[in-house]
Amino acid sequence: MPTLLHYRSWQGEFHSPWWSVWPIARVALGTLLRRKLFWTLYAFGLLLFFMFFFGTFLLAWAESLVSGTQPQLARFGDLGRVLTTNIRRALVILEGSRDTFQYFFAYQGGIVIVTLSLVGAILVGNDFTHKSLGFYLAKPINRWHYILGKCLAVFIVVQMMTTLPALVLYGQHAFDDWDYLLNVDHFTANDGKGPAGIALLLAVVGYGTLLSVVLSILLVAAASWMRRTMPLIMVWISAFFYLRLLANILVDGLKYDVRWRLLDLWNSLTLLGQGCLGYAAEEISPKPHPEFWEAGLMLIGVCTVCLIYLNHRTRGVEIVR
Amino acid sequence: MFIELTNISRTFGQTQALIDINLKLEVGRIGLLGPNSAGKSTLMKILLGLLPPSSGTGRVLDHDLATAGVELRRAIGYMSEADALVPGLQGAEYVALAGELYGMARKQALRRAHEVLTYLDLGDARYRKLEEYSTGMKQRLKLAQALVHDPPVLLLDEPTSGMDPAGREGMLDLLVTLGKEHKKAILLSTHLLGDIDKVCDAVIILHHGRILCQGPVQQLCQSRHDRYKLQIQGEPNALLDDLRLEGVQVLHDNGRGEYRVQVPTGWTSQAFFKLAQVHEVVVRGLQADNEDLEELFHRVISENQSQAPS
Repeated sequence: MPTLLHYRSWQGEFHSPWWSVWPIARVALGTLLRRKLFWTLYAFGLLLFFMFFFGTFLLAWAESLVSGTQPQLARFGDLGRVLTTNIRRALVILEGSRDTFQYFFAYQGGIVIVTLSLVGAILVGNDFTHKSLGFYLAKPINRWHYILGKCLAVFIVVQMMTTLPALVLYGQHAFDDWDYLLNVDHFTANDGKGPAGIALLLAVVGYGTLLSVVLSILLVAAASWMRRTMPLIMVWISAFFYLRLLANILVDGLKYDVRWRLLDLWNSLTLLGQGCLGYAAEEISPKPHPEFWEAGLMLIGVCTVCLIYLNHRTRGVEIVR
Repeated sequence: MFIELTNISRTFGQTQALIDINLKLEVGRIGLLGPNSAGKSTLMKILLGLLPPSSGTGRVLDHDLATAGVELRRAIGYMSEADALVPGLQGAEYVALAGELYGMARKQALRRAHEVLTYLDLGDARYRKLEEYSTGMKQRLKLAQALVHDPPVLLLDEPTSGMDPAGREGMLDLLVTLGKEHKKAILLSTHLLGDIDKVCDAVIILHHGRILCQGPVQQLCQSRHDRYKLQIQGEPNALLDDLRLEGVQVLHDNGRGEYRVQVPTGWTSQAFFKLAQVHEVVVRGLQADNEDLEELFHRVISENQSQAPS
């Protein structure tokens, strides 16, 4: 080794271990944001967002076009009427009410689930594969700081894909009509489409936060268990597809108790999310579905099991071989 | 006091990894030596405050092992044997991340990362991705992340593992400098006796979870009155033949006129000079050859095995 330069001692203040949570999350995010795979998936998510964002203008234009050509459409009998009705129905969905956000979160959630299954290994699994966990745990932090840092990284990814674009959609409608922002009864005064204004804003943030918190805990636990992408995809498909299928078969096909639908985690998430948006139980499909509190209890239970597993998984066992 | 352990034991199910470990070590450069599964790694984990002992108490730099996990690790720079790198990061980012995890502010951590990397001669590679580092560079990088917060204690697990001879020498020189000039307390766990010989002034030999011996290397190595290091100039063969006839065993010949020999009882050093004169060779050096660390290690292990019940 060449001649050493002078070694300088360092004297300074150390922050509390809680300050380490952000660097852990930042590094995980930084590693992810350098991947083309993530941006490709994010672009797919944006396509959906743009459909909602520009859909209003597109459908308004299409409606004017159809209205202007009513005499010609009349030749097709019912077809013209059906076309006009469908366009109007789609316009209603895109008008910025709770329906808009319910559909947006449902569609965007699908892309989020796919994205998380593909990036889980990068965000979390690599720490176990490359034994970086030892690097973190040998520092003056405890395992919960590490878990929190990783969950924060996933939380931010989910927020970037759901809440952030949802807030942009909200902003679009607010700029379009200030009454939408200021008047909670903007919709209910007319035809009963749920709240607007700050109440809707809080509901959107609540739905996004619920998705982000639950999915971040689930992903960190699943990725620390499976480590690599392919096994993680299998676990993810089992949790969000096969269990959903099974729940549907049990409840809709075999007419078992409705609580079997709690096996479907995504259903529990959307159920509570729609609860946030102000839907009454009888307005929510698929029917029948469990009570809100049952879905909440199920998600709390699953998250608790995941946290117990993470606590066990991140003990210092890997620090030294 | 650097390390003070009293009756520390650790069991994993039926396996006893450490049995009644008692240690009192002053600040210095200490080697932790032992074969595989001797309990070195478990002891390191306990000293880092990551693993609670099953029984017993202990303190490292006045931090209680049972209660001061976070404060303890802040006082320690730990270099693991495993790579433990974060893929995708550059060298400087990795070391700065370590600084932040130790509790340094981001700017300070980055500045300090550049300083330490320059000190460890990784200045040119600091913007390179970790995946592109060679084994020797990775070892120095791991040392950099352990040094970033300028800890008083360094726990090093196999720091020269996988390094070429030149790199290994450099790493060992560096550890000696850190210990002697910068007063770092070093606990060096390794299988390589040469590393401990070069760096450490005290050694702990661990075997099957027990401490077989501990103390300064010089004191532990036995003085041998029956062995010499002999340096001769001239044609050696005739002299060596005569020495063998007299009952002298040539233990080692380095091919450059240096020999390690074991003499029979009653032999005096004068006999070497007399025989050399007869065979017209010059004795350039003669000194008593005491036990070295390798011999000490094998002696202690074999004594322990012979004492152990079959």
